Amino acid sequence: MKANDHQDVCKESTYSALFNANSKTVFNYIYYKFGNEEKAHDAVQEAFVKLWENCAKVTPEKAKSYLYTVANNLYLNVIKAEKVRLKYADKSLKTTNESPEFLMEENEFKAKLDHALNNLPENQRSTFLLNRIDGKKYAEIAEMEGVSVKAIEKRMHLALKSLREKIDGI
Amino acid sequence: MQENYLAKWLNNELTEDELTEFKKSEEYATYQKIVDVTSGSEAPEFDMTKAWDNLQSRRAKETPKVITLSPFKAFLRVAAVIAVLLTGTYFYLNTLDETITTQLAENREITLPDNSEIVLNAESKLSYNEKNWDSKRAINLEGEAYFKVAKGKKFTVTTSLGTVTVLGTQFNVENRNGFFEVTCYEGLVSVNFNGEEFKLPAGNSAIAINGSLSKSKVEINGQPSWINKESSFKSIPLKYVLAELQRQYNLQVTLEGIDENQLFTGTFSNTNLDLALKSISTPLQINYKFEGNKVLFYEESAP
Repeated sequence: MKANDHQDVCKESTYSALFNANSKTVFNYIYYKFGNEEKAHDAVQEAFVKLWENCAKVTPEKAKSYLYTVANNLYLNVIKAEKVRLKYADKSLKTTNESPEFLMEENEFKAKLDHALNNLPENQRSTFLLNRIDGKKYAEIAEMEGVSVKAIEKRMHLALKSLREKIDGI
Repeated sequence: MQENYLAKWLNNELTEDELTEFKKSEEYATYQKIVDVTSGSEAPEFDMTKAWDNLQSRRAKETPKVITLSPFKAFLRVAAVIAVLLTGTYFYLNTLDETITTQLAENREITLPDNSEIVLNAESKLSYNEKNWDSKRAINLEGEAYFKVAKGKKFTVTTSLGTVTVLGTQFNVENRNGFFEVTCYEGLVSVNFNGEEFKLPAGNSAIAINGSLSKSKVEINGQPSWINKESSFKSIPLKYVLAELQRQYNLQVTLEGIDENQLFTGTFSNTNLDLALKSISTPLQINYKFEGNKVLFYEESAP
């Protein structure tokens, strides 16, 4: 048995480190895709329980993509995407001197952005938001999704393009 | 503009010229705003501590299933051992020789697969392979037996002292502690004794006592005397005669002051002990005492 080579993930320290580094991202990843907080929480639990069960078979290097694959497969073709709601940074507190017209415009823009985001395909939305909100590098997202960096660039490009088109009303 | 320039722009990978050109475009303002607004936004809150606690309680129920990696292999190992044992036993039992043994004072008739007949005298053991009988007619013998061999392939009787080979005939083979006797009643038998081979025609008998071989004529009445419930001897040391007596009647024989090597010629009954004891003692002029299953032979002059 090759258990010795793979024991690392079974080690508590390695396992909890993987949890600290990835649980939030797994949560966001599923939330960006399906807009469902409860399902995102479940996905985190499911992915990490599976990782624990198979800790002897999964190398630490493979653990990350294993987690996202399990989380993603969990809801594959099962749930319909719901509305993704993001908490936008409330600039009105810092910029109290903004005119009411400006604030209205801002809110209008956020509403349009929300709408546009929800109209994106799941994988473009999750890729775009993982990059913009979580600050994940293209290479990291590529690893999570199991695709090439080029494919992620394509998604980013298309996502940004269709967001603008929706907002500008083309 | 290069491929996927929006992605490159977000990653600060556009060249100076490309960036200037992009900034001049109409769409730039909206792109910039989208990026600004999304970058400042957040996903719903995620309580990592709570999630970890939940996970701990679930993990407590599910231990890593390292052992289940190869449960089937372990089963296969056991199955393979059983299969080997079963086939091994099957072949062993199949090739095992058929063995027939007679106790003291017991005779048995055996019919072989080719209808050859064997009569096994008391305290004798015979074995042969029933499965291979058609290709190899071979008998292992300890003790004494009379053979009526059906015509066919070579028929071999192997004993510890010598081998008897025939094609189809009637003969008797006796092989006991240093005593080897072959008597041919019909046809011709070939005897191999101490590496020496000789032919024994009907009506002849070959006796080897402690390695020395002698041949003699016998009456051709078709069968050895023991088949007719009698034991016949012609110039045989007394000890072999008494040994036969012990076998036929399941007795303990002791001698007192009597030479066990003196030769005896005669016949004793295998059914009437009283008569048999007289048949032995009278010609040798000795006395006997009989008690239970013990017989004592002693000199006539002794008290």
